[in-house]
Amino acid sequence: MSGRDRIVLFTPLAILLTGWLVLPALLGLLATFTNYSPFTATVRFAGLANYATILSDPQFGAAARNIAVFTVVAVPLELVIGFGIAYLLRRPLRGRSLWRMLLLLPWLVSPIASGVMWHFLFGSATGVLDFVLGWLGQPDLQSPAGDLRLALPTAIAVEVWRVAPFVTFLLLPSLSAIPGERWDEATLAGASLAGRLVKVAIPSVAPLLLTITMLLVGLAFGTFDTVLILTGGGPGTATLTPALYSYGRAFGTNDWPVGATSGWLIAAGVLAAGAIYLRLATVRNVE
Amino acid sequence: MTARRRDATRVLLLAAMLVVFLAPLAWTALASIGLLPDNSTRPPSWTGPATLEHFSEIGIAEPTFWQELATSTIAAACAATLAVAVSFFAAYGLARSSFRANRGVTQGFLVLASLPAMAYVIPLSDVLRRVHLLDTLAGVVLSEAAVTAPLAVFVLYGAIAQLSVQWEEAAVLDGAGLLQVVGRVILPLLTPTVAATAVVLFVLDWNMLLVPLVLTSGEIKTIPVAMSDFFTFERELDWPTAAAALIVSLGPVAVLVGLFHGVLDRFSLGAGTGA
Repeated sequence: MSGRDRIVLFTPLAILLTGWLVLPALLGLLATFTNYSPFTATVRFAGLANYATILSDPQFGAAARNIAVFTVVAVPLELVIGFGIAYLLRRPLRGRSLWRMLLLLPWLVSPIASGVMWHFLFGSATGVLDFVLGWLGQPDLQSPAGDLRLALPTAIAVEVWRVAPFVTFLLLPSLSAIPGERWDEATLAGASLAGRLVKVAIPSVAPLLLTITMLLVGLAFGTFDTVLILTGGGPGTATLTPALYSYGRAFGTNDWPVGATSGWLIAAGVLAAGAIYLRLATVRNVE
Repeated sequence: MTARRRDATRVLLLAAMLVVFLAPLAWTALASIGLLPDNSTRPPSWTGPATLEHFSEIGIAEPTFWQELATSTIAAACAATLAVAVSFFAAYGLARSSFRANRGVTQGFLVLASLPAMAYVIPLSDVLRRVHLLDTLAGVVLSEAAVTAPLAVFVLYGAIAQLSVQWEEAAVLDGAGLLQVVGRVILPLLTPTVAATAVVLFVLDWNMLLVPLVLTSGEIKTIPVAMSDFFTFERELDWPTAAAALIVSLGPVAVLVGLFHGVLDRFSLGAGTGA
């Protein structure tokens, strides 16, 4: 391939990504060391003042803790449930494509619509929660999204409901592509279900699981839409996320530099996870 | 365990999963046609009868809803097409360059695909304001395309890298130029993968909230932004109307996924990872 060919092939993507992603991200990074905002007349160097403001803000501390819990709980759940459904669907089955399509539906619901939907499903007058409790003869419950202790687990459950089907969708082609003989060999060798999972299924899709984990971690770190409607970050700061914090600072309280800086802290978190991912993924490729 | 009993167990487990995952959507669909539970009676009862009036109430609660539906469709279609087109060229370039680090570069695109938009959307809004693209369709389309292009590069790279180079070599011997090779040799071989990638990107763009939320201020409005407006400005909707709006917003992507169902398994992250 000639140099001219490369220019033709890479230039359109380079323009798109530079103009609408990389350049804004880097300008944003520069701005975090200043008092810059779209409305300031004079830009002054501010050193690490923005970072100091954020790191000493208990609200950001709460958001960082919440997102750590969210990621550590939601990502494994999404992987396990998504893998489980894909495992059930891996072999031919009557109506398999219909099963697959129906089980992808939750992912087609936008995160914001999912927040709206669960807001009402947890509400007492017409919700599914109190309907079931009513049949069991139990009294109505307050929405768990409004409960200080239950709000974060609730937000996690809602997100797992939406994302696990996407994991199934991503895993299924690779799981079904494992040759039948490999399952048969394992079965003949007397492997139990756990044995087949550990010896056949997981090794075959390990690099793919790593890639999906990277995407899910990024998705979890950026959690915004679902929580915005479901809890708005509350009660108190029980479900506040760094993305809600950044948005609130930049566009709610007009504290643009703080918002841009905490946005960059999310980027730093994802890039750190990305560095680990690149290491693991390239080690695998060398093998 | 016999094969038949194993299959029965599988179907049973899958049916249980289906109930868990689809019950919330079924509840919403029932509410949208006016079939609502009444939890104040013991045991809870259902109110009815079924009606379609909640779908017309959407237009009363949000007069521009149908226009927003059109905006969402156009924005998502343009962004997905643009992202897939530019990614296809770049993925071909990556897959066919001798450049030794290309696998690492491709994995780098996956990290970029994982980066939440919140990480850079605040300065992006400032950049777009300066170039007068804030609150324009072009601004939204280009930004959404940039968010999703890295994922498209990763998937398309994996598909192209698996193709044998013999077709291209034959075409080059026949005197085909670069664009002819890409357009007449590679693209026809990968039409299902390209279609699957475009559909997945369309779904991602259609459902995207943060990017259009921050980059628009009323002139251009997509469905997710309209939904967030309703709740953040405390104009809380009635549940049946909200449910109807939810079903309408889910409709186009569900139809699209249904139509392209046969090729969707070509959207594979596996090839890029070497799985």
